[in-house]
Amino acid sequence: MNGPEPLGADTGADTSDPRADMRAAAAALAGQPKPAGARTTSDLSIDEELVLHSIGWEPVELVSGMSMHSVPVGVWNWGQGEIEYASAAYARSFAGAVQRLHQACTHAGGHGVVGVHVEWAVERHHIDVALVGTAVRPVGSTGLGADPVFVSDLSGRDFTLLHSAGWAPLGLAAGASFVYAPRRSVGATMKQSGQNVELTNFTEAMYAAREAAMERMQTAAIGLGGTGVVEVKVTEGPMDFAHHAVGFTAYGTVVRLLADEHRHLGARMVLPLDDPVVGFDATSLRGA
Amino acid sequence: MTVPAEPPGDLPEAAVRRFADGAFTSGLTVPDFAACLQMGLEPVGFTQGYCVMQWQWYGMSPIGGGFGYQWGGVRGYAETFNCPHGFVSQEHRSWGQNYEQSWLEDAWASGFTTAYDRMLDEAASAGAHGIVGLVDTSAPLADMGVVEFRVQGTAVRVVDGPAPADGRPWTTYLAGQRLAKLVEAGFAPVSIAATVASVGMWANCVTQYLTEGTNSMYRAGTPGDEILQTVTAHTVARRIATERIRSQLGPDSLHGASLTTTHRDLGEGDAAIECILRGNRVRRFKDFDPMPAPRPTVRLL
Repeated sequence: MNGPEPLGADTGADTSDPRADMRAAAAALAGQPKPAGARTTSDLSIDEELVLHSIGWEPVELVSGMSMHSVPVGVWNWGQGEIEYASAAYARSFAGAVQRLHQACTHAGGHGVVGVHVEWAVERHHIDVALVGTAVRPVGSTGLGADPVFVSDLSGRDFTLLHSAGWAPLGLAAGASFVYAPRRSVGATMKQSGQNVELTNFTEAMYAAREAAMERMQTAAIGLGGTGVVEVKVTEGPMDFAHHAVGFTAYGTVVRLLADEHRHLGARMVLPLDDPVVGFDATSLRGA
Repeated sequence: MTVPAEPPGDLPEAAVRRFADGAFTSGLTVPDFAACLQMGLEPVGFTQGYCVMQWQWYGMSPIGGGFGYQWGGVRGYAETFNCPHGFVSQEHRSWGQNYEQSWLEDAWASGFTTAYDRMLDEAASAGAHGIVGLVDTSAPLADMGVVEFRVQGTAVRVVDGPAPADGRPWTTYLAGQRLAKLVEAGFAPVSIAATVASVGMWANCVTQYLTEGTNSMYRAGTPGDEILQTVTAHTVARRIATERIRSQLGPDSLHGASLTTTHRDLGEGDAAIECILRGNRVRRFKDFDPMPAPRPTVRLL
């Protein structure tokens, strides 16, 4: 006998023949290309594309939207209450970027955008929001859908799960608030000197910012006709250029139940017996 | 394999000899290697292409080779943003401009394509049909003004499969299971596609004040306005990149793309915006047979 015995034979019902598929692909590349079909551009992974196809959706085009609003000089350091310029700049930049993404999606013939990458930055004098995602539509559909275009930062997999459970994404909801942490009085500063005590000015500012931001996000969700927001991402804390201000930002995908009732997915529990597989990591090829 | 008398392209002779030496090399992980064998892809060699370019952000002036904006020969997008105030002072930025930095795009395309072609030459000389698991990078090398382009990947041969039509191996960023799933879904990997769009920005007064937050002092627009010139530059950079990629696709689609945009702040509202779009150009070779809705599972570990 040469070498060890092979591992257990595959008794599954998998009828695919990867070698035949690869040869057919190579043959297609050896011949002349067929006339243009439906050309698409997408930043989805093959897994996401396959899983979207399984519920009857397909990618159409890579789309993006960006907006940037100014924050006037001098607003970060001295004052009381909310830094309204900064909060408004965040809200307007988010809304502007979403609006441009909507336009790009509609222009491409998409019914919505999934897997949106949200890049945002709070700078001293401007707040930027950039959105990039893939416009999708039901397979083979032409023209606009009956429902408004949706924008979602959920992956293709999460979109499929939501869809299967009877829910639909409606859009992105965002809220942010930037609040001054007032400086303590000279008396309070001296009294607390050398002690480990709570700085209530910062704690209270944090709570004020949190409440305003979360409320704005929820109001936006209600405005879109949603019943909830999933995958909410929050950030909180001071800005490195403004030590007496704290900010709180939140955004997520607004969802609504479309089916009569939530459908349980009936997930099957599995116990994997394999070792964690090392996935393909292209950058590792470059070395350290 | 016999060593050709003359190496193809500008391939070093030593590289041709090395590829003829029998043992294959590969940059694939073991699971990816196993997946490739499962698909009938035999690794031939780990192929690389390099190109080091002199890099001038501002281009060479056609006259005198000095350090200045290269207006001559600039092509593509350009848009002027005029000052709404009329004459204010000599220092006032009475106009601004967004312009495509075509010399940077050309330099990037030249560096990338040269490195890519050198890798293809290596693979073709080794008798490969395709290159999988491609990685490309560009990074400053040695000094300011020098950029190195690197493209590398594992050359493979399709067992019992035909060679590409024009002898140029097909290429893809994918490898292993992801490539297997792509092919099973009915897509053939044609090539990678990559492009860069570069838009330079000379701010006008309004953009300068809004970016520096001083608009209220100069009454240039309402505080908190959108910085339209910058937003336009970003939007156009992304549009140029996506349109250029689409023009390269022919009858094919772009899959698994990545669109990254960097904003280089040059002060006073001036900026350079660079947008790199790369992805896999794929061609449908069989009708899509959608898989049934997958069964959700929960891992217990």
